[in-house]
Amino acid sequence: MQDWRTYEPLLIPSIKDLHKIDVYEKNGGYQQLKKVLSDKEQTPEAVTNTVKNANLRGRGGAGFNAGLKWSFMPKPDGGPRYIAANGDESEPGTFKDRMIFEYNPHLFIEGALIAAYAMSIDAVYVYIRGEYRSWITMMQKAIDDAYAKGYIGKGIMGSKMNCEMYVHMGAGAYICGEESSLMESLEGKRGYPRVKPPFPAQKGLWGRPTTINNIETLANVPLIIKNGSEWFTSIGAKGHPGPVLYGISGHVNRPGVYEYPSGMLITELINDVCGGVRGGKKIKAVIPGGSSTPPLRGDSLDGVRMDADSLRDAGSMMGTAGMVILDEDTDMVDLVWRISHFYHHESCGQCTPCRDGTGWLEKTLLKIKNGEGEIRDLELLLDICFQMEGRTICALADAAAWPVRYSVARFRDEFEARCKKSIYAVA
Amino acid sequence: MPEIFIDDQRFEFEGNPKVLQFVLDQGLELPFFCYHPSLSIPANCRQCFVEAGTPVFNRETNSYELDENGDRVIRWFPKLMTSCSLEATDGMVIKTHRSSEKVARGQKDTLEFILINHPLDCPICDQAGECPLQIQTYKYGPEGSRFEHKKVHKPKRVQLGPNVVLDAERCINCTRCVRFTDEISKSKQLSIVSRGDKNYPLTAPGTEFDDPYSLNTVDICPVGALTSTDFRFKARVWEMNQTPGIDMTGSKGTNIDLWVRNNLVMRITPRYNPDVNDHWMPDEARKDYRRINENRISRPSIKLDGEQVKTSWNNAMLTFNEETGKVKPSEILVIGSPHASVEDNYVLSKFFNRLGVSDVHFANDIEKGRGDDFLITDDRAPNANGCRFLGFTEHDPAALGKAVSASGVKMVVILGDDLIGRGAFPAEAVQGKFTVFMGTNNCDTSNAANLVVPITCSAEHAASYINEAGRIQRTIPAKETVYTSRRLNLEMSLGRLDHFATKFDNWESDDNKVDCIPAWEFLIRLVQETGGDLTYTSSREIMDEIASAIDTFSGVSFERMDDEYGIPLKKENQPQGKTV
Ligand SMILES: Cc1cc2nc3c(=O)[nH]c(=O)nc-3n(C[C@H](O)[C@H](O)[C@H](O)COP(=O)(O)O)c2cc1C
Ligand code: SF4
Ligand code: SF4
Ligand code: FES
Repeated sequence: MQDWRTYEPLLIPSIKDLHKIDVYEKNGGYQQLKKVLSDKEQTPEAVTNTVKNANLRGRGGAGFNAGLKWSFMPKPDGGPRYIAANGDESEPGTFKDRMIFEYNPHLFIEGALIAAYAMSIDAVYVYIRGEYRSWITMMQKAIDDAYAKGYIGKGIMGSKMNCEMYVHMGAGAYICGEESSLMESLEGKRGYPRVKPPFPAQKGLWGRPTTINNIETLANVPLIIKNGSEWFTSIGAKGHPGPVLYGISGHVNRPGVYEYPSGMLITELINDVCGGVRGGKKIKAVIPGGSSTPPLRGDSLDGVRMDADSLRDAGSMMGTAGMVILDEDTDMVDLVWRISHFYHHESCGQCTPCRDGTGWLEKTLLKIKNGEGEIRDLELLLDICFQMEGRTICALADAAAWPVRYSVARFRDEFEARCKKSIYAVA
Repeated sequence: MPEIFIDDQRFEFEGNPKVLQFVLDQGLELPFFCYHPSLSIPANCRQCFVEAGTPVFNRETNSYELDENGDRVIRWFPKLMTSCSLEATDGMVIKTHRSSEKVARGQKDTLEFILINHPLDCPICDQAGECPLQIQTYKYGPEGSRFEHKKVHKPKRVQLGPNVVLDAERCINCTRCVRFTDEISKSKQLSIVSRGDKNYPLTAPGTEFDDPYSLNTVDICPVGALTSTDFRFKARVWEMNQTPGIDMTGSKGTNIDLWVRNNLVMRITPRYNPDVNDHWMPDEARKDYRRINENRISRPSIKLDGEQVKTSWNNAMLTFNEETGKVKPSEILVIGSPHASVEDNYVLSKFFNRLGVSDVHFANDIEKGRGDDFLITDDRAPNANGCRFLGFTEHDPAALGKAVSASGVKMVVILGDDLIGRGAFPAEAVQGKFTVFMGTNNCDTSNAANLVVPITCSAEHAASYINEAGRIQRTIPAKETVYTSRRLNLEMSLGRLDHFATKFDNWESDDNKVDCIPAWEFLIRLVQETGGDLTYTSSREIMDEIASAIDTFSGVSFERMDDEYGIPLKKENQPQGKTV
């Protein structure tokens, strides 16, 4: 494996003004799109296979092989087909797609167009969270420029390919980042996740075949087309290869978004990349991939790497690689309550266990936080989690339950200390 | 045929049924809230959980894989599945709460969640007694509550529109009401607003829920979140007798239930008929209970010096026979009614045929533009086709008015139709002609009549009506008259109190009974008075005679109507009604 210290960023390389289309072009931009359009060997199936073999795992949270997802699209039947590019980026701790909007929007556009070619797509909807006002403007500008140069629209680069691209602004609901409610939202409906099956590839936007990919996922595509799938799989962790935008926040000296190969040691990211913990404090916990991923204890980080397999073994998940580093002064009860507050606020309210469970979790945590909790409330919390997990339409209920379940399990002493003393010994 | 195993019992199925509907069709119970057979499936309440698995099929051996006991190897879905959205597949194995702890726990858990923010105000809630949440909580719910916090508060007593009131705290967010306005009435007037546990249905700002079918949402709301402005707080469900009936406000033949307490119809709700109205009915038609309860003609009356004076049944019959004896058959104009039943119209026609009057007339009751392409019809009468199929002469109201005014007419007999009130002719048109009105409600025509005979309405008799599509359906008496008794009349439905009440329950009452008899009964009494040959003892008997006498009706009987959601009369048998 290449040493991360010599790694040169690929998704957000340090090239001045790369967001401008002519700078992007000068640096080899849109050549991969040209390649798939002009090279006879690069059939849509071949492109899909290349991406599949690269094992490009979705950067939106679930880590599903992108090429494999593309291959689920049915054969074109003449009707419209869509890509929804997911830039809703609302999971607390996650702020990496906006780096692409700001610094390398054309890489994403090119990737989306290659995906569109591979799946015979008629239109790409770029769904961006509403709070990202300036990034929406930047993205719109990039798309306008690409239209003007003939990269998007009718007869792309003189080929027979037609594809439109639209920016759609979210309206402030985290749930609209979930792929099926994203589609509902695009259709102008209330952001309620859909029941699956049918899957988006069968019945997506307006009932037509649709693929949803994260912005960062699609931005990787031109790199794979340029260098091949073998090159891609050689970057970073074996089972989860490629460059990753690590969005690191919390109690570190230099928080920010850093691009490195996947499979980085968490300790290296904290100590070497981010300059260590603020004030030289000890780490109490690390949330590895956005607020929904189970927090790891600071004393269990040795050898844990940022890839799906290593994190699974450590008892968490890769998620969006939005890492939150928490030092020893962190109040875990407070933190988990705040996370619970978020999920309570953001549950779409469709499914009973999520609608009412998220509120119950928050209220119980608040009670403990206020020193009014009792030890039995901890069992109750775990019970509520059990009653929510795996019982809902989308994964928000799991996302709400996991941080609670694993915090109570891994930091139980802290929770107990906040509860009222029992006059009887608690078994 | 594909097979499915439910709690180890084998069933065969056809097509692609969803597991929940299939289980219910087998007469087995499964708790559910959001699912409705006529609406799309959102699978949001998470109450209908089952465990599900499919047998492992080995492509190479082309057979199911077996374990060491020779049983099929089942691949279980790891999560609890919502049976409402789960499609049955060949060999599928389902475990319900009857055979799975996990399922029972899942159902209990969902109910616990629903109840933590539910106000639990059953004692003052209209839905109590017919509330799926109440019933399922008793059967499948947790013993108590572990919720120790303040419940979420939401708007209460929100007048969503003219007919529907919302209590958002009771709402369990099943979205049935929203889906109804999206998919059935298509007004799209309701949407869920807010998010999470603050969710509730509402109209868009500045608009109101004036959908002409709005009250159906009250019926399908599985809790007391939506209640009827008109009905709320009027009666408890268990105090009423529920009797099947037919809507009288249009020609659709919408199937209804009449809910009676103390001989008053308290409300009307739709009754399922897949061939007519599915689960639905228009709001307007529900108000028809007022016609049944209010302003009824009770006891016969005779006009003396321009005033209606109550008289005895004997005197009424005497007067009738006297007056018919004074005129020639050709001087009598007999008017049947699209608002009256097939039986009443039939006996009317038969009675006057005996006297030598060959033609019976009727005026259609059409209001152009009233109808829609759903359940509301231009035709305001339930039985115009009944009159047509009996061979009556059809007129526009105005044309009938002319016939009434004709100088040759000395006597006019009108069956249950306020012709003067609906403008067919003015009261002066019948001046100087002996006018008999057999009707249910006081009206302009009864005021103008010389003899008024009170007859039973659709809620008081068993009788048939033929809808616009030629389907014959019948009513069952729902409320008592002075002459009928719920416990003696086998046709009448018995409610909980009839079955179980003690005399201390004070459920029997002579209040609100109307002194009236079916029109046919009045007519045959007249015949018997003069020693005649019309001797029916029930409308059932009359229908049997009609079925054997008139081709169109062959094979029709009350039993078949009851068993088959009504009977479509054969088109080729339908005579062309005479139109003038
Ligand atoms: C509650 C919830 C919120 C989500 N929010 C986002 C999001 O903001 N951005 C995103 O890319 N994926 C989000 N996802 C994941 C998407 O559903 C989907 O898996 C992803 O966009 C697929 O893209 P990928 O395969 O390229 O990762 C969310 C999922 C859930 C359950
Ligand atoms: S799990 Fe929660 S957010 Fe997802 S659909 Fe159900 S209620 Fe909505
Ligand atoms: S008001 Fe009733 S029908 Fe409508 S969503 Fe709430 S519970 Fe369901
Ligand atoms: S009935 Fe199946 S989820 Fe509501």
